[in-house]
Amino acid sequence: MELFLQQIINGIMLGSTYAVVALGLTLVFGILHIPNFAHGHLYMLGGYVTFFLVTLYGFGFWTAMISSMVVLALVGMFVERVVYRPLRNQPHINSFISAIGALMFLETFVIVAWGPQGQRIPNPYPNPIEIMGIILTQQRLLVIIAAIVLIILLQLFLKKTTPGTTIEAVAQNREGAMLVGINVNRVSSMTFAIATATAAAAASLVAPIFMVSPSMGALLGMKAFIIVILGGLGSVPGAICGGYILGLIEALGGGYISADYKDVFAFGALILILAIKPTGLFGKEAG
Amino acid sequence: MLKLKEVTTVIGGFAAIRNVSLEIEKGEFVALLGSNGAGKTTLFRTIAGVLKPANGSIEFKGLKINKLPPHKIVALGLSLCPEGRQLFPQLSVYKNLMLGAYTRRKDPKGVQQTLEQVYELFPILKERRNQPAGTFSGGQQQMLAIARALMSKPDMLLLDEPSMGLAPLVVQKIADAIKSISKEMGTTVFLSEQNANMALMITDRGYVLENGKLVLSGLSRELRNNDMVKKAYLGA
Ligand SMILES: Nc1ncnc2c1ncn2[C@@H]1O[C@H](COP(=O)(O)OP(=O)(O)O)[C@@H](O)[C@H]1O
Ligand SMILES: [Mg+2]
Repeated sequence: MELFLQQIINGIMLGSTYAVVALGLTLVFGILHIPNFAHGHLYMLGGYVTFFLVTLYGFGFWTAMISSMVVLALVGMFVERVVYRPLRNQPHINSFISAIGALMFLETFVIVAWGPQGQRIPNPYPNPIEIMGIILTQQRLLVIIAAIVLIILLQLFLKKTTPGTTIEAVAQNREGAMLVGINVNRVSSMTFAIATATAAAAASLVAPIFMVSPSMGALLGMKAFIIVILGGLGSVPGAICGGYILGLIEALGGGYISADYKDVFAFGALILILAIKPTGLFGKEAG
Repeated sequence: MLKLKEVTTVIGGFAAIRNVSLEIEKGEFVALLGSNGAGKTTLFRTIAGVLKPANGSIEFKGLKINKLPPHKIVALGLSLCPEGRQLFPQLSVYKNLMLGAYTRRKDPKGVQQTLEQVYELFPILKERRNQPAGTFSGGQQQMLAIARALMSKPDMLLLDEPSMGLAPLVVQKIADAIKSISKEMGTTVFLSEQNANMALMITDRGYVLENGKLVLSGLSRELRNNDMVKKAYLGA
């Protein structure tokens, strides 16, 4: 029972970060209609920025995380502008190639600049606490709470504010959005900024628990991609649920069967769900 | 108010409209007739800035607009209610309307007034304001599309085949609404239609577009009696 609860908490923690990263990916997908393959690598860069601000410049954890979000928002806008926008009216394959170029650049840049080894941010909240007989560090609890706060804020932004509504409008009908006077390029730019800033937040939150390393982006980007497909392309509730489902599957599969196979469970779940419901959990039928 | 000089637009290597010149004065109610594939939609999308003309110039209220992006053209007071309606299907009727007023977001009082006006024009939109636009019937969606275009309080409204695919009774309702947009609200209206019967009954004058070229223009009542128009568009 204790193992079970422990793994559930781990799953929720993993799932929270997955949900945040997948949410950004699904928003960008809604706008561009292509996945941003470089998303995981931007997440990695966000982790590194926080790492350097904390270790080299002595920033506090929260200040470093918020600064990293700002930096990554700018990087995201830059990527949209130079990697995607020039290829807007070209076949999608061109954007894929461009995105792969961007992610290879990011990964190689980080390896050359800071080395291939993993780095650890000193844990700002290492003290363990006990809830219902399970012991976890405060940082883990913090990841969960911070991620949920981010998800709620993002939802409120999308549903309750005019700039948020323009993101939904462009996703649902690009030409309709232009015709009501929305500057769709500015909306793309804003969507990228939000997606990469939230990815940086997720990377910063888990950096004291796991590590930052040049390869952390590739696997996470792949998983976020799975989650977005699992939840239904472009679906916001799908990305959130998908994130938690994947986190729980990994934690339970890893805890009970074998940690070496946790990614097998994740990808296996994808294949299974898509075999049963090809449009994803929240996907619309054909179209 | 709107002046096109020798406008040509190329889509996929094919000149869908060629050397179109026309002029519409403030307050006029003008029809654009043409069969399927004549180039009506291409002409309207070019005016609205979605497509860029390969040649020629477009002036609106004395300003050259043929190089401007669509969102700047709407802000100048020219609004297109597009073919296929292009609504935001998962957003509520109310949110669709509010997005229609996006260019006026700094003027909530004015927007509220226009909202009351369009609710008066189409009471069904008020009744169903919280329903997602995608759940509407074709006729209701068309009403919403027209209302959304009006929310920017345009000086000139382009309507691209609003009767397409609708039952005759609904077409009548839409025609009445368009007439009141022109006559009561004082909006300049440019209406494209294959349904020449309806268009020529309500407009003051019209143009006929064939294979991307304007071939005829005149007062609507004269066009109704024109032999070529009768044969090609009135099923006589
Ligand atoms: N996206 C497109 N690609 C290629 N040809 C197009 C495209 N859109 C329209 N056309 C062509 O342009 C011509 C004019 O079409 P359109 O403006 O839609 O006419 P209408 O609105 O009068 O029916 C047609 O011959 C059509 O086949
Ligand atoms: Mg058409």
